[in-house]
Amino acid sequence: MLSKHASLASAAVLVVILAVAPAVLGEYYLSFLTQLLMMVALAQAWNTISGMTGYVSFGHATFFGMGSYAAALLLPLGVPWWACLIAGALVALALSVPLGFLTLRLRGPYFAIAMLGLNEVARVFVTLWVDLTGGGSGITLSPELLPSLTTSYYTMFLIAVAATVIVAAIYHSRFGLELRAIREDEGAAEMVGVNTTRDKLAAFVLSALIPGAAGAVLVMYTSYIDPAAAFAPAVNIQMIVMVMFGGSGTVWGPVLGAGLVMGLREVFWAEFPAAHLMLLGVLLLSVVLFLPGGLMALFTRRKLVRPEVAAGPQERPDG
Amino acid sequence: MALFEPTILLQLLIAGLLTGSLYALLASGLNLVFGVMRVINIAHAEFMLLGAYLAWVLYVYANVHPLLSLFIVVPAVFGIGWVLERTLIEHVVGRPLLTSLLATYGVSIIMVNAGLLVFASDFKSVPQLQGAIVIGELAISKPRLVAGVLAVILTFAVYLFLEITRLGKAVRAVAEHPHVATICGIDVQRIRMLTFALAVAMAAAAGVMLTMIYSFSPDTGADFIQKCFAIIIIGGMGNFLGAFYGGVLLGVVEAFVGGFGTTQWAEAVAYLLLVLVLLIRPTGLKGMADVK
Repeated sequence: MLSKHASLASAAVLVVILAVAPAVLGEYYLSFLTQLLMMVALAQAWNTISGMTGYVSFGHATFFGMGSYAAALLLPLGVPWWACLIAGALVALALSVPLGFLTLRLRGPYFAIAMLGLNEVARVFVTLWVDLTGGGSGITLSPELLPSLTTSYYTMFLIAVAATVIVAAIYHSRFGLELRAIREDEGAAEMVGVNTTRDKLAAFVLSALIPGAAGAVLVMYTSYIDPAAAFAPAVNIQMIVMVMFGGSGTVWGPVLGAGLVMGLREVFWAEFPAAHLMLLGVLLLSVVLFLPGGLMALFTRRKLVRPEVAAGPQERPDG
Repeated sequence: MALFEPTILLQLLIAGLLTGSLYALLASGLNLVFGVMRVINIAHAEFMLLGAYLAWVLYVYANVHPLLSLFIVVPAVFGIGWVLERTLIEHVVGRPLLTSLLATYGVSIIMVNAGLLVFASDFKSVPQLQGAIVIGELAISKPRLVAGVLAVILTFAVYLFLEITRLGKAVRAVAEHPHVATICGIDVQRIRMLTFALAVAMAAAAGVMLTMIYSFSPDTGADFIQKCFAIIIIGGMGNFLGAFYGGVLLGVVEAFVGGFGTTQWAEAVAYLLLVLVLLIRPTGLKGMADVK
């Protein structure tokens, strides 16, 4: 970890720069920064459940898509945009509590498998419910209902900051310690009195609220939503790659990962979406194989635990 | 329409059994890799699509019939799997299962998007063996019949290989206990290369036959991997024959849901079955309790 002072100072500088950005930047870069902040928020959300507990979720885009749809359905009814944002988070909450209650009883790989199809099922469900959602043709919002780009930017900014503060607060708390204990050895954590089911559920619900709110803001900014965009596999991929690249289970890793991946995308890959995702795949594979701790591991000065302990239980079959 | 007429029920049953056999061929490869290597290969269905696209290329550019291209595609994908295991998958063996999930997720992202770059996202198919055989009031689609029967033959050929041959016994020994297998003089790493290559070759064979039945795009794998996971969890993770029964069961259930409801709901059946089984038995119906 960075030292506490360096960490706080860089955070303060970052927040000040981002707060004055709309005064300086043109519409294009402001729009880019809004997307970047959205990815920071999503990455932190994924980090809260998967980075902290090791329960890899392949279905977090579902909460994001549901938040988008909640806002897209409520805005035309005259609901103010900030209330739509809260509604987005509440819808994600309403799904995550029963879902987490059911799936978090499963151990890691089974949870991952159960989450893998969730996004697809949500997409089919929303597409089939034509009366409510307009089916595959999606919902277009009229521009006068929408907040300005600057408002969207600041809202996304607040969500990203809130997500990072939540992760930092968890990381430095007893709760965070318990989550990491679950990641390293769930059985042992249970044995020493950690209420693993309650902890996992709390982390899961927190990690669902943020994408729900971010999805609601996104739809106000793009003014259009359809099932393919709301439940896009690319959102899942980006979330996972950004966290793994930056450093999963850390406070700054997801911010770093989101910044670098979005920056690279802007510079090189915007013209070639398939090549862009392919390179994200290469990045994920390389990180998992060669740098499991992500970029943050490169900054680690003092190793509190031996790397082989940090890497988790080894079950090499040939002994 | 009288849905409960015996002919219609029989028709649905046969259609389900044939599709299910194809699922079984695909899923038993995935289960073999899990059983022997303790690696969950999320990219498994992408190898099916690799087989499908190779067969499509051979058909379009060289006019090779899919049944003939099996003899080219299956060895080719076997070779690719062999090399890939040695260079990549071998590094995640023995690491926590989540590592193999994330690494093969990376492989899947690369393969899907490479497919999109090369073939674009439009749907392809190979219109061969079209039409149906009519027996009395029953109509059985020719490509489904051929694919289903071939899939059963191939799955059982692999099963016999595992049961009877010396090499197959070595594979099972590694699945049972890698350490003891090493002591007995088995080259465990070579067995893992063989296992992975065999598994993706089975997926490719399923893919070649898929070209005659469905239209496919680089994204098609997502549906199939979901089905595979449902199948191996129903049938028991790591249990080769279990995957076969699970596959056939899923095929039949899907056919009946598709027949009585809508095809779109049939798509969700695999997921609902999967979640249901996981809730009743958190480690799968015949799963190993010690899997972490």
